[in-house]
Amino acid sequence: MQLIDNIKNEFQQYMSEAKGLPDGSVPLREQAFAEFERLGFPTHKNEEWKYTSFKSISDKTFQSGSALSSNAEKLLKESLLAKIETNRLVFVNGFFSKGLSNIIEQDGGIIISNINSAKKDHQKILEAHLGKYAKIENEALNALNTALMNDGAFVLIPSNKTLKYPVLIVNITDAGEMNVLSQPRNLIVLEKNASLELIEMYYSTGANVSFTNVVTEVYAGENSNLEHYKVQQESGESYQNNFTQVFQEANTNINHVTLTLDGTLVRNDLHFLMNGENCNSLLYGLYITDKKNHVDNHTRVDHAKPNCFSNELYKGILKEKSTAVFNGKIIVHIDAQKTNAYQRNQNILLSEEATVNTKPQLEIFADDVKCTHGATIGRLDEEPMFYLRSRGIPEEPARKLLLNAFADEIAEMIKIPELVQVLEGEIERKL
Amino acid sequence: MLKIKNLKASIEGKQILNGIDLEVKAGEVHAVMGPNGSGKSTLSAVIAGRQEYEVTEGEVLYEGNNLLEMSPEDRAREGVFLAFQYPIEIPGVSTTNFLRTAVNEKRKYHGLEPMEATDFLKMMREKMEQVEMDKSLTSRSLNEGFSGGEKKRNEIFQMAMLDPKLAILDETDSGLDIDALRLVSDGVNKLRNKNNAFIVITHYQRLLDYIIPDFVHVLYKGRIVKSGDKELAKELEVKGYDWIKQEVEQNA
Repeated sequence: MQLIDNIKNEFQQYMSEAKGLPDGSVPLREQAFAEFERLGFPTHKNEEWKYTSFKSISDKTFQSGSALSSNAEKLLKESLLAKIETNRLVFVNGFFSKGLSNIIEQDGGIIISNINSAKKDHQKILEAHLGKYAKIENEALNALNTALMNDGAFVLIPSNKTLKYPVLIVNITDAGEMNVLSQPRNLIVLEKNASLELIEMYYSTGANVSFTNVVTEVYAGENSNLEHYKVQQESGESYQNNFTQVFQEANTNINHVTLTLDGTLVRNDLHFLMNGENCNSLLYGLYITDKKNHVDNHTRVDHAKPNCFSNELYKGILKEKSTAVFNGKIIVHIDAQKTNAYQRNQNILLSEEATVNTKPQLEIFADDVKCTHGATIGRLDEEPMFYLRSRGIPEEPARKLLLNAFADEIAEMIKIPELVQVLEGEIERKL
Repeated sequence: MLKIKNLKASIEGKQILNGIDLEVKAGEVHAVMGPNGSGKSTLSAVIAGRQEYEVTEGEVLYEGNNLLEMSPEDRAREGVFLAFQYPIEIPGVSTTNFLRTAVNEKRKYHGLEPMEATDFLKMMREKMEQVEMDKSLTSRSLNEGFSGGEKKRNEIFQMAMLDPKLAILDETDSGLDIDALRLVSDGVNKLRNKNNAFIVITHYQRLLDYIIPDFVHVLYKGRIVKSGDKELAKELEVKGYDWIKQEVEQNA
């Protein structure tokens, strides 16, 4: 297995260099690497990876890519999404690019930076949160990321503060010269009563293979509010494993929207742990797949405390020979009375050869709860099609109207109008 | 404009239309009345082009062309409009967006350029006023959350926007109160001219007090068994459908 050897070498190299540095993360990395070695890459035998496998890249060699890339710069300039006014953090092949980043709000204790810069000035905060929420036990790819984490975004919004503009984290992989492996590690901290709009974007360029293994930890302090949007548009031969762990204290409101519009293989793990009462968590997702691409969305909402509300709606449009997976876990802990948890997954298959595997998993241990789940897989409804045709709209434009309407419902969960407009354009292009 | 000759149609093997003969000329309003199960909805469904119905015999000529061989969108683009009895809701598709697409597809079909956005909005405003349509309804998703009356009015509004040659109103009055009925009828009456034609399908005579027909036909067991003028409708209101049923049985 070329990739595993690659990784072993990289780790050994890192550890030998790290011995000279005052990096508090060494013990954590050693522990993480040991866990990764024990588990290896997940295979079909692991229930959580039944339909998704990174096997096709396990015998390729990867390198870490360069920090500078004119292709990345060009991509960024041409991106419509990046034209929206934001506090922008750009990572090229996982390396922070000061030149392409642009932070416009800095005062009052707000930190919008990268982890490596934060190591000098904010060591204590990092130690308090980094690695505390995304567990590595039995999570091979989290363990791998933790062992080899290089850099990533570090955003901290202090108590009672909010930003005027959203924070945008752009990850661009340039696999023009070689296969690139990058492992971004992000940490987002919201203190009490803080608010944040956060956008993550993933792009790639180049004819070689890219593998992005990203872990994001979000700590939402009491009464905080987070709008978190992820847009995945890695083109070419690109693989992504994206693990986001959200840790919610009491009275927090989180709206999370994931739009997966490209990528050969994308695996998203979105986990919420409600550690306090009166949390509200909304999880929305849209995936549009084509060719032989594969998107796997695994979500997990842990209702660990009473009186919390969660609502999930994931929608998929599958074309050609593409495949998708949805696995939504809801765990209602024994003391989590008065839980309201809802989940829906709706899929439209546009070809006979597209396949989707959808599975809700509800584990309910409390007795005073309201939980529902539902999944549909099918074609476009005939009635609306006939209605549109009866008004003179031929089949193709009618179908497009209806598919866009289906997909736009998710895009409209985003509260930034300019972003919604651009995304609806991207969706229209994809369809 | 429309010539229906000996039209027979069935659904799931059951014959509903048993030989309909009907001729509609430009400028005319024909009412088609009948008891439940007589085939009223089947007739409009066949003219609109619903796949579930099989035409077993007969023909339908529209402007000299074989209507039954045309796709639903072609029928619409040639000027046939069906106002549905139960208009469906289409979430996520706004009325404005939907109508602009429909109008421009029709123009494209006739070799015209798409309408300028400003011209289109102007036309929308004019037609909304003409049919007394609430402006706020058009920016919402098509029929979503609309009351029965609002849905029917939306059908008439679409008719005003698409300017059809032949409009079929399929039990447009069902579920409407007097005020809504008046509004819908006013809309239709404003659109009547010597170049277009209407087929008004209804169960009750009430609508015909507002939309005055030139001809009234009674449909029973899939056939037109009696034709007359607006007086026939009044006679039906007094005597009910039993009178017709008895007459048919006697003559059989």
